[in-house]
Amino acid sequence: MSKGFVEAEYESGEAGAEGMRRLDREGQAEAFDAIGDRYDEAFPYKKGQLAAAEWLIGSLAGGARVLDLGCGTGLPTARQLVDAGFEVVGVDLSRRMVELAREYVPGATFRRLDIADLGPGGPHDLGRFDAVAAFFSLLMLPRGEIPVVLRMVHDLLVPGGLFALSMVEADVDYFTIPFLGNAIRVSGYLRDDLREVVEQAGFAVVEESSYTYAPEISDVPPEEQIFLNCVRRG
Amino acid sequence: MEPHPRADTNTAPPAAGAPAERGRGQPKRAPEAQSDRLRFLDLAARRIARGVEPDETLRGLYEAAVPAFADAVLVHLREPPAAREGQSDEPLVLRLHSFAQGPEGVVSAASAGGAGPVRPTVSGAFAELLLGRRPVFGEVPEIEAVVSELLEPVAGVSETGAPGRRLIIAPLYGRRHLLGAVVLLRAGGRSVFEADDLLVAAQLATYTGLGVEASVPSGREASAADALQLRMLPSSLPETTGVRLASRYLPAAETSQGGGDWYDAIPLPGNRVALVVGDVMGHSMTSAAMMGQLRTTVQTLARLDLPPEEVLYHLDEQAQRLGSEHMATCLYAIYDPISQRLLVADAGHPPPVLLHPDGSGEVLQVPPGAPIGVGGVPFETWELPAPTGGTLLLYTDGLVESRNRDVWTGMELLRGRLEAVAARVAPPPLDMLCDAVLTLLDPDALDDDVALLAARFDGFAPLNVAYWFLSPQPQTAGRARQLTRRALHRWGLGSMLDATELMVSEVVTNAVRYASRPIALRLLRTDVLRCEVGDDSPQVPRMRRAQAGDEGGRGLFLVDQLALRWGATMLSTGKVVWFEQEIPEEYRQHCQEGADAA
Repeated sequence: MSKGFVEAEYESGEAGAEGMRRLDREGQAEAFDAIGDRYDEAFPYKKGQLAAAEWLIGSLAGGARVLDLGCGTGLPTARQLVDAGFEVVGVDLSRRMVELAREYVPGATFRRLDIADLGPGGPHDLGRFDAVAAFFSLLMLPRGEIPVVLRMVHDLLVPGGLFALSMVEADVDYFTIPFLGNAIRVSGYLRDDLREVVEQAGFAVVEESSYTYAPEISDVPPEEQIFLNCVRRG
Repeated sequence: MEPHPRADTNTAPPAAGAPAERGRGQPKRAPEAQSDRLRFLDLAARRIARGVEPDETLRGLYEAAVPAFADAVLVHLREPPAAREGQSDEPLVLRLHSFAQGPEGVVSAASAGGAGPVRPTVSGAFAELLLGRRPVFGEVPEIEAVVSELLEPVAGVSETGAPGRRLIIAPLYGRRHLLGAVVLLRAGGRSVFEADDLLVAAQLATYTGLGVEASVPSGREASAADALQLRMLPSSLPETTGVRLASRYLPAAETSQGGGDWYDAIPLPGNRVALVVGDVMGHSMTSAAMMGQLRTTVQTLARLDLPPEEVLYHLDEQAQRLGSEHMATCLYAIYDPISQRLLVADAGHPPPVLLHPDGSGEVLQVPPGAPIGVGGVPFETWELPAPTGGTLLLYTDGLVESRNRDVWTGMELLRGRLEAVAARVAPPPLDMLCDAVLTLLDPDALDDDVALLAARFDGFAPLNVAYWFLSPQPQTAGRARQLTRRALHRWGLGSMLDATELMVSEVVTNAVRYASRPIALRLLRTDVLRCEVGDDSPQVPRMRRAQAGDEGGRGLFLVDQLALRWGATMLSTGKVVWFEQEIPEEYRQHCQEGADAA
């Protein structure tokens, strides 16, 4: 897939409420354009994330098709999955992150796309997947959109497909926080609420773990990270 | 408990002054001679510094020096003790205080009463020599007249004939005045002192002099400005988890006026700590007073939890309001033991030095902004890693700059000294490090006062913290209770559940009432369990008596009753209400390992 094709995907303007949503989302993406490699410097030792990808690797057959939703720099997850022999598609809305991911993980395919546009029959339907990983990416959405995206992930998966999700535990809805010298908006649920939202979207949670994680940067406080390993029901 | 340095249990004599059995045919100077001297000096400094009264200080000197460095050591103190040089033509009178000798270093005090066995009156060349501050060998002609008198108590050690290079006489100085003399003697069978041993003797005498003087009531001789200065420095440093601190302050030797150096350490929310060092230019009553005002201002700004560049900006503004005749330099840093990061902003101050855990020293490249008092200049904050086990040293220019040494040379010497100490003891105890650093000072050129603040980064493991953001809603207090319960169970602190839940609930309820943005709930576990609730309302809650029928208002009374300590601090972004409970001994650090799989 050529770079030029992908970069052209968001050139057309949109109006109305949808247009506002896009602008807002683009702002989030621009923060990550600015952050670039510093993201991995501030969040090293992704123990929980590595373990969750290991769960996918141990559960999937060779050559399985995996979607990395909000792939960032492609590290560590996309690389881990490529090294395990899977066909990996990474998606991120940040242009810079997609550039870095292509450089760091040449074995995967990366697309600059909005999560919300990936649904079956939507503008950028990427086909069905055996597994989806969404590590700390759905927290960039307003709370109202999260159940919708979870349902979409459900529909992107083959029956019995796997879903590895991680979020930061918080009870906030699209709350602006300083983040690596930028401002981003984040949403979160407390653990039990998150589980409920995920189950209602048609998943069975097979494993739940949490970690206290202290980013190596002064403007991001320590966080409680929740990892849910899920299977598509129905 | 810090590990003791090797040398503590087994005093290694400096190689160059080693006993004669080393063999006369060997090279005069083993390659390790210098580092052995340093090791000896560090041990000596700590022994001498232990004393809180003159006798103890001197006992420290004897223990350190006999027989490791000399076979006999005598201390003669001046009589009367407080005379000033240059103001009197009276001859110097020395009186033997005590001495130590022999392989066991037996200490003898001079007999009590005015008529001691040795009471040399020194004048002329020898007095000049003492006032010159430098130690000399026994071979200089000025000593001949007094040497037998000085050595009389240890006549058995000193053999017939001129002691020559087996004798060193080191003037004993306090911060300003000659206090007496230290006499060091080697027995005939031992190799003579070398040139470098004069430096060792100078350092021994410096430690001893400062120790003796510090332990003598000094009100009468310290100037008012000195007193003001000392009173305005922190009487003690805060004890926070995640960082250990030590400090030193030395007034200038020559000026009788106080300087404007200060240092400070201020605890901040989230177990962070602000580290401050500053220097008001000039030496006068007003610079000491100015220092007091700036220090107070920095403290106030720090407690608002402003970022470093804003602390300096507002400090600059305040300095201009106080009057522009005084400029100051200031370095403001925040250490966060959880993220293990350091934020630094600098207003014209010399850069801090970081001693890395691997023993390498680094002068931190923090671009200096304009000094405080210039006005209208923005400052910048720099963020750096703060590795656990590392030591940050903040200091004033008096440490690195003198009339004999430029500031850059001084900083390199400082870096080298830190590395030298770390090479011997890893990690070096903070007090040892501070004392070793002070030996950089040339007692002859102590033109400026010196402030020193050392911070050892201990870090704070993430598994001992729990942080959440919670939107303020009616059910938030209940959710905070639930999260607290979970964290306490994870830490094996179930026995503290009831009281903690109750207090968290009260404080969160109060925060929810005023907050418009999500509140922060933080739990931190050390020997105490600390809970912090932050919100964006600056209104600090006050404890008030609840009236009959009041729904709220009882919360802080409960906290006051149940908590070991509590407080409420206004911040630039709102406020933090915190409380602490002691963790019963048997539950401390109950679970140390890994993540908790639910």
